Amino acid sequence: MSLGGAEAAVTAHSKPSRTRRRPDPLFALGVAIVAAAVFLALVGPEIAPYDPTEATLFYNEAPPPLADWPGLLLATLTGDLPQPPHWFGTDASGFDVFSRVIAAPRTDLAIALAANVLSLVFGVLLGLVAGYYTNWATALLMRASDVMQSFPVFISAMILVALAGRSTGNIVLALCLLYTPIYIRLTRAEVLTQRKRGFVEAARAMGSTELRCALVHVLPNSLAPALIQSSVTIGFAILLTAGLSFVGAGVRPPTPEWGLMISTGANQIILGEWWPSVFPGIAISLTVFGFAVLGNALERRYDGN
Amino acid sequence: MLRRYVLRRLFAAALQLLVLTVAVFFLIRLLPADPVSRFVGLNASAEAYAQAERNLGLDRPLLVQLGQYLGVLPGAGPGLLQGDLGTSWVTGSPVLDEIAHTLPRTLELVTLSFVVAFLIAAPVGMFGALRPGGTADRGVFVYSLFAGSQPEFWWGLLFVYVFFFTLGWAPAPLGVLSPMTSAPEAVTGFMLIDSLLAGRPEVFLEALHHYALPVATLVFILSGPIIKMVRQNMARALESDFVLYARCAGLPGGAIARAAFRAAMAPSMTLIGILYGFMLGGAVLVESVFSLGGLGQYAIRSILAFDYPAIQGVVLVITAVSLLVYLALDLIHAAIDPRVSYA
Repeated sequence: MSLGGAEAAVTAHSKPSRTRRRPDPLFALGVAIVAAAVFLALVGPEIAPYDPTEATLFYNEAPPPLADWPGLLLATLTGDLPQPPHWFGTDASGFDVFSRVIAAPRTDLAIALAANVLSLVFGVLLGLVAGYYTNWATALLMRASDVMQSFPVFISAMILVALAGRSTGNIVLALCLLYTPIYIRLTRAEVLTQRKRGFVEAARAMGSTELRCALVHVLPNSLAPALIQSSVTIGFAILLTAGLSFVGAGVRPPTPEWGLMISTGANQIILGEWWPSVFPGIAISLTVFGFAVLGNALERRYDGN
Repeated sequence: MLRRYVLRRLFAAALQLLVLTVAVFFLIRLLPADPVSRFVGLNASAEAYAQAERNLGLDRPLLVQLGQYLGVLPGAGPGLLQGDLGTSWVTGSPVLDEIAHTLPRTLELVTLSFVVAFLIAAPVGMFGALRPGGTADRGVFVYSLFAGSQPEFWWGLLFVYVFFFTLGWAPAPLGVLSPMTSAPEAVTGFMLIDSLLAGRPEVFLEALHHYALPVATLVFILSGPIIKMVRQNMARALESDFVLYARCAGLPGGAIARAAFRAAMAPSMTLIGILYGFMLGGAVLVESVFSLGGLGQYAIRSILAFDYPAIQGVVLVITAVSLLVYLALDLIHAAIDPRVSYA
């Protein structure tokens, strides 16, 4: 066993130097996707060619064939068209699919980010307390988060949002409730190892108060696992938000939201009208993949040093 | 010895389920939903509202309601501890019957998907582990990252578009049998088993045909985490001392691969169990895309209708099945890995 450990240590040391020398194209892809999603969340609804919540006069209009796109793009840029083309077609209510796809990050990403930040803050603080003080209260906290984690995630989210009322705020709160235990567990485990380390002992020996040790020395060094988990959690929060709208327990129409768009297009796809669902689906697929890639790259970097 | 371990685990699981049931019970009653208005309508008179509230039992104190649900209240009829999950507020039939009706569909879907996903993903993951860092490994890794982060309901719809609408290979996504086929007599509740028991192989094939797309969807999603896990465990096993020793001893490659495979499978069992439990609730979306009529769709219907007894029943049953699966896989783990023993 000791030999295996030594070998692992050797490989762990030789790996990061290699990855540091060679830029990781996958990491770059993840950063690009996440940056694009954040950009659209900031300005998407403003740069959309049509109002994402206002119907046009055209229903179920197919997107222009791909061969026409360069010509249309040129005509749009020179201003030759009376109105901008419906790049992704229009849906059954006459909404411009393209405008809604690029306006949706303000809903999806905002929910996911807010839920993640909230559960990160609560989870890290509670995890710090639970790792620092072991008494009946923190034992109860850990049992409670065990119970939370043994709920079936998607069904619990559905219950919370449907019964609390279908609003953006309630989705954020429901996701926060479901994700906080993950952060409590991650942080607590890290705190348990960090607080025994030499520099914390040293700080304590120099007369730092327990609170100062916890906040200044242990906390910053215990954040990494939770921060890495964030990227993965945001991705899954986007999937969950979209899934909730898909079954009718998420945001209300006509909010531009990817899952809702897929859901409204679901009945048409059997009839061959693919565009109302396919484009928002590509958007989710890429965004969540981007966050997964980013999370994975961060994890490997952290493990490498 | 093993029996004592199993009994201890079952006891712990029962306790966990009881805590969970109480938690769910209070949670859904603390949320600001108004199931009474849902049933009598918003314009109902105050008397009608009060009458409906009495009928649903919501006028009594929470602890009395809980006692009644658990079946510990003297003279209030059977409850959970007597194996009665109550009556659905929407249909008026026992929740247990409705779950017994829908659960087999979900188990069938999820189990079928796991078997297929594992048969595909395990070799792929091992292939990636053979040369860590190689082109194949990198491709397999990116694929697993991609598949593991996808909206399954969207892929389901995409498959419907391609394989039903465009190619015509798959049946319409409207359940597990076509509307013209009479269902075989329900013995086990599993369509694939019942059809064979009834001696109707054509129904078996039809059900299989209807399962093809939903299973393909779940297999795609599941293959991501399974490949990732097998690859990791296999790579670790191949680097371990006993494989090095086997190599030094001059064992043939096949024997080494078999030994490493067994060592890699054992830790994978736990994750498979967690994934299976996750999928029982997570198959909701795929069930809904293909209208399979499983427990997930029952959950959606109950939740959107504020049908409290049904919601409690669904959460309880899903968690109970997950806990049983964890236990079963831990036992398999012990059978594969001689270092783990519950004696």
